[in-house]
Amino acid sequence: MAIIEAAGLRKVFRSLERDPGIGGAIAALFSRTYEEKVAVDDVNFTLEPGELVGYIGPNGAGKSTTIKMLTGILVPTAGVLRVAGIVPYTHRMANAANIGVVFGQRSQLYWDLPLRESFELLRSIYDVPRDRYLQNMKHFAEILDLDRFLGTPVRQLSLGERMRGDFAAAMLHDPRIVYLDEPTIGLDVVAKEAIREFIGTINRERGTTVILTTHDLADVERLTPRIILIDEGTVIFDGLLERLREEYGTHRILVVSLAETYAEIAVPGAELQSREGAVIRLRFNRRELTAEALIRRVTERYRITDVSIIEPDIESIVRRIYLEGYHDGTVGAPS
Amino acid sequence: MLNRLRVMWSVYKQYWRINILTTLEYRENFLIWFAFTFIYHGSAITALWIVLNRFPEMNGWTFRDMAFLYGLWMLAHAVHNTFFSTVGDIPDHIRDGEFDRLLVRPLDTLFQAIATPGQVFPDELILALLYFGVVTWYSGATVDATFVVFVPLIVLGGAMIDLAFNLFISTVAFWFVRVDALRWIVIQLEQEFTRYPITIYSRGVRLLLTFVVPFAFMNYFPARYFLHKAHEGAMLPAAAGLFTPAIGVLFVAAAYLFWRFGLNRYSGVGH
Repeated sequence: MAIIEAAGLRKVFRSLERDPGIGGAIAALFSRTYEEKVAVDDVNFTLEPGELVGYIGPNGAGKSTTIKMLTGILVPTAGVLRVAGIVPYTHRMANAANIGVVFGQRSQLYWDLPLRESFELLRSIYDVPRDRYLQNMKHFAEILDLDRFLGTPVRQLSLGERMRGDFAAAMLHDPRIVYLDEPTIGLDVVAKEAIREFIGTINRERGTTVILTTHDLADVERLTPRIILIDEGTVIFDGLLERLREEYGTHRILVVSLAETYAEIAVPGAELQSREGAVIRLRFNRRELTAEALIRRVTERYRITDVSIIEPDIESIVRRIYLEGYHDGTVGAPS
Repeated sequence: MLNRLRVMWSVYKQYWRINILTTLEYRENFLIWFAFTFIYHGSAITALWIVLNRFPEMNGWTFRDMAFLYGLWMLAHAVHNTFFSTVGDIPDHIRDGEFDRLLVRPLDTLFQAIATPGQVFPDELILALLYFGVVTWYSGATVDATFVVFVPLIVLGGAMIDLAFNLFISTVAFWFVRVDALRWIVIQLEQEFTRYPITIYSRGVRLLLTFVVPFAFMNYFPARYFLHKAHEGAMLPAAAGLFTPAIGVLFVAAAYLFWRFGLNRYSGVGH
């Protein structure tokens, strides 16, 4: 039984259209024309309980709008939506009891008070039994190292500490599903790692279903085999990260350091991408040519001192998909 | 249902706990507010006193009467400011996106908005209670069973009239986002027109204050009743002074319906 089902999900906003500048703003006071903006066009996916999925897309792709529909904040214009058997927008409160939400850019902690006070409040809001609360607090204290700053006013916490607090806050009532909206935004490498570790642990040990939206594809690579790519309101890829890499990351780059200077360089089956001094970069399709074969072709023609291969990284694959479309199978080579 | 009420009560207590902790965290700010509350109401009363020193009466109302009139408004207003004022922060929450947070919690949105800690301390309420005690004695209002039973209800009803307008204006923010101008107008209207008996104003203003923005029910009509000035017969019979709770409930109910309508629009029903 799927825990989240979205079919034909669509959301259209009506927004005021106006010309730029003060002139446009004044004109808009008198004559108003509205523009229909399709934020989410036709989103379909299902999630099984305990899955962890990366929901990826550029700014304005419709990520936040989808999350807002899943959490019951927005009502879809069309489509079917079920979260843990509940339609979020008709049973907002029942749905809210099942979910936890972390908005990376906004905290739900009380700025002026020790971290502990926010947890106490959330305990009341979600009506968490005292013993369960203490158990959870103990567990989070272990994996998030919260004990050190439970008594510190939130405003004095570092961003990383605050984010750990926000995570614990979202998980306190044992939600079946958590939505993490840009959870690592603005964090340093160490803090990012701690957060990723926590997400992984929560997902593994508690079987919590996690939807993670992020710009940072390293989060995804580290955490989840499955990603959903969304662009201009529609899902353009839904599957394993590995499949994306195989299908779209077909091109690799061979970096060669030449021992001598050659006037012209040409290797059959590879494209000369750049040449800087003695270092050349050859782009090739791994389906047509193995690295070994290409190196052989190079050494037959030129004397070299060193070679290395650059694999397509997920970041560049995704970037190319957004720039060029996703269907032609040639995108995704590192550049 | 009972369980939900239990949860709401426990949340409400927690919110107040946070409220008071936060207020005390910034001691200096709190002390300045505290002083301001004194100065604000003190100067309003002094102004009344000055006016009535020159003209001993205003349409049959002495300074003692008007001190009571002000006391009744001050108490109702203080109840509103203490328990419901955070409703006025809703437009800010809509603008900065914090409002979404209320929607992902398993509690009624308006309850959360009301209960949200807004750094409120019951200082104004305490001051208003003290002041009201003094002016009740000073004005010579008859403290009988009706007074004891109805004054708390009238104060609550008056606070609900305040709440209704606060909520109504905040709801407008679902469409306009910023509603400062509207709020300013209503606050000014209330402050200006609750200080004197409404008989000093023209018929149009009296109609407005009785039926449209019924601030006259916060203090004028009840004060007229308790001070036995019913012979004035401004608009309504004497007993109108006891109708404040009903008016409060009516206006809050209307504002709540409008709120539900606005909330649905926010989520985008019918788009």
